[in-house]
Amino acid sequence: MSLVSGPGRAGGNALPDELQLAIEPHVKYIQSLDTRKDELEYWLTEHLRLNGLYWGLNALHLLNRPDALPRKETIDFVLSCQADNGGFGAAPGHDAHLLYTASAVQILAMVDGFGELEKRGKEGGAMAVGKYITDLQNRETGTFAGDQWGEEDTRFICCAFIGLSLLKLMNLVDVGKAVGYIISCANFDGGYGVAPGAESHSGQIFACCAALTIARRLDTVDKDKLGMWLSERQTEGGGLNGRPEKLEDVCYSWWVASSLSMIGRLHWIDGGKLSKFILNCQDSERGGLADRPGDMVDVFHTNFGLAGLALLEFDGLEEVDAA
Amino acid sequence: MASHGVPRVAETTQRTEAQRLEEERQIREYRDLEDLITTKIAERQYTLEVLELTSKLLKKNPEYYTIWNVRRRLLIYGLFSKPSVSSSHSTESLNTSLIDTTKASSENSSFSTTTSSAASTTIPQNPVSPNHGRNGTTLDLIKADLEFMFPIMMKYPKCYWLWNYRLWLLQEANERLEPEVARELWKRELTLVGKMLVKDSRNFHGWGYRGRVVSELESPRLGGQSMVESEFEYTTKMIHGDKGLSNFSAWHRRSKLIPRLLGERSANDEARRQFLDDEFELIIAAMYTDSYPYQQSAWFYYQFLMTTVTEYVGHATITPNFTPEDRAEYVTRQLVILKDMLDGAEDCKWIYNALIDYTMALCRIEERAPELDERQDCTAWLAELRKLDPDRSGRWGDLENSPRQ
Repeated sequence: MSLVSGPGRAGGNALPDELQLAIEPHVKYIQSLDTRKDELEYWLTEHLRLNGLYWGLNALHLLNRPDALPRKETIDFVLSCQADNGGFGAAPGHDAHLLYTASAVQILAMVDGFGELEKRGKEGGAMAVGKYITDLQNRETGTFAGDQWGEEDTRFICCAFIGLSLLKLMNLVDVGKAVGYIISCANFDGGYGVAPGAESHSGQIFACCAALTIARRLDTVDKDKLGMWLSERQTEGGGLNGRPEKLEDVCYSWWVASSLSMIGRLHWIDGGKLSKFILNCQDSERGGLADRPGDMVDVFHTNFGLAGLALLEFDGLEEVDAA
Repeated sequence: MASHGVPRVAETTQRTEAQRLEEERQIREYRDLEDLITTKIAERQYTLEVLELTSKLLKKNPEYYTIWNVRRRLLIYGLFSKPSVSSSHSTESLNTSLIDTTKASSENSSFSTTTSSAASTTIPQNPVSPNHGRNGTTLDLIKADLEFMFPIMMKYPKCYWLWNYRLWLLQEANERLEPEVARELWKRELTLVGKMLVKDSRNFHGWGYRGRVVSELESPRLGGQSMVESEFEYTTKMIHGDKGLSNFSAWHRRSKLIPRLLGERSANDEARRQFLDDEFELIIAAMYTDSYPYQQSAWFYYQFLMTTVTEYVGHATITPNFTPEDRAEYVTRQLVILKDMLDGAEDCKWIYNALIDYTMALCRIEERAPELDERQDCTAWLAELRKLDPDRSGRWGDLENSPRQ
């Protein structure tokens, strides 16, 4: 799946009076992504290939078209990204990293591919992947590194928990310590940052809330404070931003709204206005969604825009669980 | 990620034949370079030549994390001198290059911003033994790499891999070089991150990196001492700078520094009370300036200050020894200030929200139910909130029904 932006442009075409979700164009757009090898950007975004496949496939599931990408090729590609250490890289030959390992497990879960992982994956199957993830936990602090080079970020706790929970291997890691680490990242405004002391950021808040949801420890969240901060992410135009005084962006339709949903505060924003903003970010003829109206579409924003709509229970989309 | 803020192109672009061929050529060139690196790494050619090939590729595509990892391996398995051998050797040659550095930086007080072929011109060439891990000193390599990255970071300030690789390089310096030499490198990072934050004062990578650099410079291992005072001053400067009072990143960092600052000053109760007063004065003055009563950054900082008064359990607070009477006094004073603030800013929802929150907080501190007039006030303020901010009506509904009301 390529991360090439365009060709569509959000709101590039005259919108009908009543905003509609352009389901068929979005499906075709996603299907076309891997045919764009004659564009330089296709190659420059290879480091996102496996994430891209996850985003595209997830979007297709939301659009009720789970079979729009061929299952066998999907599994073949995922397994071709697995490194000898059990983790997955962005594309064949790329180094393993938790960001891609989580996507790989998510894709395999979506296409019911764990059996193939056992058969054709690196020796050990699910356990090899579980071991790769487990070895990245910092046993002293509880947090996770992204890969062997040691970068730590609360996103990686989320990636690890997503991978391990889908593989039913949560027992391999010290969940309590990881939860303790997340608590140490909480700020006075109720939010979470990349690391202890770091500024609250909606992406990290999603990562921390999702990890706490998986660990069944949302009781540790100051829900009123966090809900207040998150609800203030909605801007005049209905879209959501990632931090105070920043521009709105379609991807926060997921990061912010699903966090609000996880803490039971989704009704603290105007869902109707958000839906409208998201719909205005689509190219209803050529398919795909962009970060903001007028910008180039791409599969990342397509997925997270659709996921936001699904969370708001927009007609025509599959229901989605926040975490 | 993908394409944030990429504006629409003017018209639907159909590539001309010439453009198509040009793009094809660029793809070929890019993929050939990639293949060449892969081949040479497979042959374990950990040489300067391959390092330069990776420089070339990373300038085209700094997001290619695997190539940054290749670079790490090139350095640690091939190019860095062995730690045991290096100490005396590198210290010696170091001192001279350090003097150069100091001179250079005092002359133009900036980092090199050479964009093209930074690596090829700065990496020392050693014709004698290109394959035996003895090409120049570890320090020279690290310095060259840091310089090579600078223009790329200025161009791609939000690329995680860049910040990440840079920290790794500096940690290698900690491991491989004398502490005073490593310290000089970290000190230069403070200048670099300062520049990055001038360019974008909200870059959270930059703020996070600044925190890391400062904690390294403070560490006993590098002979450091606390920088909490100067960092606190830095946030004051940023708050009065470009994005000004709406710079939530600066306010946030300030909130994190305060408990340590007071601790290190061994501030007594009186000094702490004065400090809190000064901070309230700063933020309230800010709110009276221009459009700031409507900007949320200032209100979040205000919330932080109030937290130290109203939620005194389990938080690092400015005034840990406040009695309930002290707390009630502070909250009462703030309620007066907030009511005054409404004059001329009757359409500012933040004031109404704060008035409700802190009226309720006062009742909790005084362990009593709200009086009739307080209940009436809150009802009126809530009506204003619903009117001014209908997007969040669900929140106002919950506020109305919360047990605190």
